[in-house]
Amino acid sequence: MWEKVKDITRGHSLWMLYYCTGCGAIELPPTMTSRFDMERFGIGPMATPRQADILLVTGYLSTKTLRRVIYTYEQMQSPKWLVGFGSCTLNGGIYHDSYATINQLDQYLPVDLYLAGCMPRPEVIIKGFKQLMEMIKTGEADGWKQYQDNREWYRENQKKALGDLLYTTR
Amino acid sequence: MLQKDFIAKIKQEFGLDPAHIKAVAEKKLAVTVDSGEALSFLIYLKNIDFIQLSLITAVDWIDENRFELVYTLVSWEKNLTVSVSTFIPRDNPVIVSVRHIWPTAKYYEWDINEFFGIIFSGHPEMGNPLFLEGWSEKPPMRKDFDPQAYSYERFPSRKYDYKVENKGRVIE
Amino acid sequence: MALIGKIVLFIVGAFVFQVALSGFSRKVIARIQKRRGPVFWQNFYDIGKLFFKKTSISHGFIFDFGVWMAFGGTVATLLFVPVGPYSVFPGQTNFIVIIYLLAIGSLGMAMSAVGSANPYASMGISRALTQMFGYDVPFALTVVIMIYVHRTSQVAKLAAVQSDIGWHLWVMPLSALVAFIALMAMLGKKPFDTPIAPAEIASGPLVEYSGKYLGMLMVQHEFATFVEVGLFVNLFLGGGSTLLIYLVKYIIVYLLTVIISALMARFRVEQTVAFFWKWPLVLVFIQALIIIGIGIR
Repeated sequence: MWEKVKDITRGHSLWMLYYCTGCGAIELPPTMTSRFDMERFGIGPMATPRQADILLVTGYLSTKTLRRVIYTYEQMQSPKWLVGFGSCTLNGGIYHDSYATINQLDQYLPVDLYLAGCMPRPEVIIKGFKQLMEMIKTGEADGWKQYQDNREWYRENQKKALGDLLYTTR
Repeated sequence: MLQKDFIAKIKQEFGLDPAHIKAVAEKKLAVTVDSGEALSFLIYLKNIDFIQLSLITAVDWIDENRFELVYTLVSWEKNLTVSVSTFIPRDNPVIVSVRHIWPTAKYYEWDINEFFGIIFSGHPEMGNPLFLEGWSEKPPMRKDFDPQAYSYERFPSRKYDYKVENKGRVIE
Repeated sequence: MALIGKIVLFIVGAFVFQVALSGFSRKVIARIQKRRGPVFWQNFYDIGKLFFKKTSISHGFIFDFGVWMAFGGTVATLLFVPVGPYSVFPGQTNFIVIIYLLAIGSLGMAMSAVGSANPYASMGISRALTQMFGYDVPFALTVVIMIYVHRTSQVAKLAAVQSDIGWHLWVMPLSALVAFIALMAMLGKKPFDTPIAPAEIASGPLVEYSGKYLGMLMVQHEFATFVEVGLFVNLFLGGGSTLLIYLVKYIIVYLLTVIISALMARFRVEQTVAFFWKWPLVLVFIQALIIIGIGIR
């Protein structure tokens, strides 16, 4: 019962990390400003990964960005959620045959929700966030638990894509 | 400055054959030089007011077995754009760096080195990664590199199972 | 036991009132920007979510201790501010004590920002302390004039004497204006919000806090707001003979700062200090000469 109260509290106040990884980030300012107001659901942008709950991976990820996104995801506090935004995180999108971008995001990080489109419009973003809120309130969204449980599998995939650079600090 | 005045000026002062100078558009010229005198031509152009280096890029002519390097220079006083192109052999591509003339050439030359494999002598960052960290294949913009095969092998795509209802056929 | 009950009731009441009011102020800002805002109990959800995080990352003992010091110092300050006709320790609402304890909040955050070795944190804290250096001098001078004229430094007595001579807002208008601007700097509202500055230096001193630490700092910020706005209402608007009148005055002053801050951009920190040491200081000196020359009537 106390868990239910906690889940409802977490569902009503989601802070997303304002980290624009790809070209999908152009749809975030219209969602936050006056026309499609996102703050009325309690969602607000935050500046650092330590304060945020949701990591929004907007668009394609090159291997250079993927390494930094993995570091950012591991710096956030659990419970945390990851939303894959745009078709490039789903199946590669229009860059599916490029030598530099990855094709499926959930081989490397656990994804809770995908929003398809190139780009998805702000109405789709808000509908996706409302669905994420429902999933949080019923306790279905547990990507962070899966990351902790299947850590070796994720690590192996990350090493296959990134090589040995995953542990360097440059 | 009118274009034909400028072409006459270059021919007179530098001694280039006018067959190598082409007027591409109203304010744009394309000049072809040998790789030996490319550097002195660029320095000459810098001295007559072409102070902005817009772009350095490379083209891979794999059938003719050579690279073409294109430098685009802009002059604000004369209101002209000149693109200077030289050819270097594909087997051992080395050319001198213009970093000391225009400091912005550092990143362009680093980029071309990473993607084409051309070595600019005198540049400190040859061989260091700029965009592709941990890259161990051949430089990816060369025409004998297959990006699709590399992508499908290293980054596996998502498998969708779908049912084919009507298969299209080619009508001869 | 009655004292403990009074303390707990005071703290809980201040918490509920201030958090609901700051949630309501988010709705006011949203309406100014022509959109609907969150529900007015949104800040309770935020603080609850922060306290329900499952992991938290600490950077050592100094980091933890600084947060506790900031929180405890602000709660201690809270107990000395008179609210309407009530106060937790009657007769002990000295202004010097309140100002002294109020600095512990910033110093605690400075200590823990040093404990986390992030350069953004130390940049933010140096800006916050520089800004404090700017606004403290005019604000303290306005209150020193009042203490000199009325020969007392108890905030409750300064509030009560205004029912005889009229509000200090009308009697000393220049120092009221200076104190209002200093209030906006104390609360960290735009145009004086360089310490937090989310887009510039990644939230300044708050960059390494997460989960429970951030929750405690948010609550500390709400309590500090309560103390500072309460000081302004007591010193310049006559306190309140009943609790309801005090709360209404408080709400009006707070919403005025929120509305002004929604319309302005951000100053740089050296502009802030230069601003506070130029015109507000001159105005306070003119006010002091008027008061000493003409008298309070």
